[in-house]
Amino acid sequence: MSDEMDDVLNEFIVESYESLDDLDRELVTLEQNANPDSLAGVFRAVHTIKGTSGFFGFNKLEAVTHVGENLLSKLRDGETEVDRPITTALLSMVDAVRDMIDSIQSDGVEGTGNYDALISELEQLESGEAPTADTDASGSIDVDTAVDATGDISDVVAEADIAESTETTDVEILEPESLAADAAETVDTSPTAAATGHVASESIRVDVGLLDDLMNLVGELVLARNQIIQYTGTNPDATFSATTQRLNLITTELQEGVMRTRMQPIENVWNKFPRIVRDLSIACGKQADLAMEGKHTELDKTLLEAIKDPLTHLVRNSVDHGLETPEARLAKGKPAGGTVALRAFHEGGQVIIEISDDGAGIDPALIRRKAVEKGLLTKEEAAGRNDREIINVIFQPGFSTAAEVTNISGRGVGMDVVRTNIESIGGSVDIASTHGLGTTVRVKIPLTLAIIPALVVACDEERFAIPQVSLLELVRIDGHDPQSSIEYVHGAPVYRLRGRLLPVVHLHEVFGKAPPEHSDGINIVVLEADNREFGLVVDEISDTAEIVVKPLGRVLKQVSAFAGATIMGDGRVALILDVMGIAEHIGMTSTGAGKQHGVEDGEANAAGDLRRLLMFRLGDRRLALLLEMVARLEEFSTEQIEVTSNGRVVQYRDEILNLVFLSEELGIPSTRPEDAPVQVVVYTDGGRSVGVVVDDIFDIVEQRFDIQHGSSAAGMLGSAVIQDRVTDILDIEGLLRLALPALFAEEAA
Amino acid sequence: MQVLIVDDSRAMRMILKKMMGELGHKDIDEAEHGQAALDHLEEKMPDVALVDWNMPVMGGEEFISTIRGRRDCDQIKVLVVTSESNPRVVYQALKAGADEYAMKPLTTEVIGDKLGMLGLA
Repeated sequence: MSDEMDDVLNEFIVESYESLDDLDRELVTLEQNANPDSLAGVFRAVHTIKGTSGFFGFNKLEAVTHVGENLLSKLRDGETEVDRPITTALLSMVDAVRDMIDSIQSDGVEGTGNYDALISELEQLESGEAPTADTDASGSIDVDTAVDATGDISDVVAEADIAESTETTDVEILEPESLAADAAETVDTSPTAAATGHVASESIRVDVGLLDDLMNLVGELVLARNQIIQYTGTNPDATFSATTQRLNLITTELQEGVMRTRMQPIENVWNKFPRIVRDLSIACGKQADLAMEGKHTELDKTLLEAIKDPLTHLVRNSVDHGLETPEARLAKGKPAGGTVALRAFHEGGQVIIEISDDGAGIDPALIRRKAVEKGLLTKEEAAGRNDREIINVIFQPGFSTAAEVTNISGRGVGMDVVRTNIESIGGSVDIASTHGLGTTVRVKIPLTLAIIPALVVACDEERFAIPQVSLLELVRIDGHDPQSSIEYVHGAPVYRLRGRLLPVVHLHEVFGKAPPEHSDGINIVVLEADNREFGLVVDEISDTAEIVVKPLGRVLKQVSAFAGATIMGDGRVALILDVMGIAEHIGMTSTGAGKQHGVEDGEANAAGDLRRLLMFRLGDRRLALLLEMVARLEEFSTEQIEVTSNGRVVQYRDEILNLVFLSEELGIPSTRPEDAPVQVVVYTDGGRSVGVVVDDIFDIVEQRFDIQHGSSAAGMLGSAVIQDRVTDILDIEGLLRLALPALFAEEAA
Repeated sequence: MQVLIVDDSRAMRMILKKMMGELGHKDIDEAEHGQAALDHLEEKMPDVALVDWNMPVMGGEEFISTIRGRRDCDQIKVLVVTSESNPRVVYQALKAGADEYAMKPLTTEVIGDKLGMLGLA
């Protein structure tokens, strides 16, 4: 084939794809509400494909579209009413056409598909023979030829087979013509049609590759601009700095302009959904309406491509898993037909897409059970998480709530793939559901990927860029000993931010280096990943900047801490931090935390983790002790207590056990009767055991809590609300170091 | 010879342009529907218009009847080029004022023959 023919063929393929997308949508609209406008459009689209395929000699394509066109022409002329079997057949025709166009695009031929069944089905529907088709035509009246017969073209009359035509034929001819005229008028005045025509004549088609190149060049220009701005700072020349100002403005405008050329309305992806919802609801025996809001919301073409599959999956899920059957809905007092609503809008430099349904919602109890069954969470974790957190567990790999795997949505790949895909383009996804009322999935995606606002930080003289999407706030700890404000809960560093424990990690540690001693303040960048917050300690916070994202080379790509690279104003390269990657590195993500728990319970220590506490009384005070600090619980009679130079001791398991009377250490009067046996909590550290005497051990609880440090006295970790009461939590380790310095000094030596 | 191709399908316009090129006609303008073609007529009068039947905004029938109602367009030969095979359409086209009607199979030869019949070869 000549180049010229290749061009024509390409145009044919592109044009056909455009029509096919419209066809899906239009046909579904038609089924709900047959209007002449859509019919004329559908007919035209099929007609064009038929005509053009004939030119290329795509005979199968021509045959399929030909019978489709005949059926559509009947619908257009009002001779046949659109009903479900017809819509289904026409949609199958669209699929067949798409298959063939796919094949033409890849191999240049129509492919090996056999469409005879489809053709005869369409023919039957056209002639009104199909048992399901509800038409007035009795017998096999070929209305097409009947119409032919009335035309004045004598040479075609010969082929007209009107033997069976009835007296209704005449009536039918008049009506279609007036209908067709109506249709023509509506098409003319239709504002959308006029607008399309107008836009088309004022727009040109541009190769996407060219736009990509332009975007890259603009990226380079932004970098050059940044460099010049940096240089201006050191150059006193007024003219130069004025010119730089102009360059700065123009570059920004150019960047915005080029970015706009790549913007496409989300409608382009949503167009497929009416068809999907229709087919799926029929397949599941459900009734579903699709509502769309904000379909003109625009986002970068690349991103649009990337969210296509995840969104499709979510919409399918809404119909398949979300909505109930009409019977179930009626039983609950809901309307038989459910609604799947799509909503898109801009918010803070991001595009938010919501997919909601008014279906059954998600039962948190079911998710809890499933998550434990599948080993994604321990029982304690499952019980301790709130409903919203629990529902978001469905985004974890290997989770599927479908009672049985259907061939519709439960295809083994689940919501985890949705999340991975969305996160790979710098987006995030969150789900909220009210059991019995419905589910809303909220997808956040950046407007564009190529140029992003970022925070520049420094660590060891090297600079790093953090995408602002993940940035929550910046915290600086000043004071004479900033290091002391970083506390350790189970060996994991945390910072108390407005009463919440924020896990922190030093950027040095992410790179496997020892963090330096900070003497003059600590900078914490508070980041969000996977709906959890953590703090990243950096040496210095420099500035915000628009950075141009450059992909990393093959070697660095494997380092999960980096998402890409960029060139800074001074021409040096800065790596872009991958916030998700770092969160995973420190076990912050839900999956990471889950895995870690599998290995050793209680190892991960995010804020509010589930902990076991030993509850005891001392005087009138309720106190608690982390159970993992407790080796054993013992009871000794007062006779067993002996006084030595090292204090009071008991003989215990062939050893001498030092006793520490907590009431004395804390200055809380004991209410224990003089002669009553003593309750002792045995604490063991490095082979040494110490007995801590308390008044009364009354409970062991398992609970999630945050320790409030505020007014904590010596020997206390702080207080927390345990069993709905404020309870002091004992720092047994610290307390014993104070009470028995000799013992611990000996151990240290 | 000035040629105006009126068709809403880009692929079809390319095909017709190619065919006309093979027949030696290089002076070709395009319009995507009847209204765009009417706008075009304000600037340039073609000798022949190859007109599709089914088009959005303004279809072939309306376009042809419109220009046939204008004296300044008398010299334009109108060739309806469509794969619409319904004889009623042929009838309507001729009634609206088309000079010729090219049906499938659409080949360069068919177009050439039709142009010849219009005295434009």
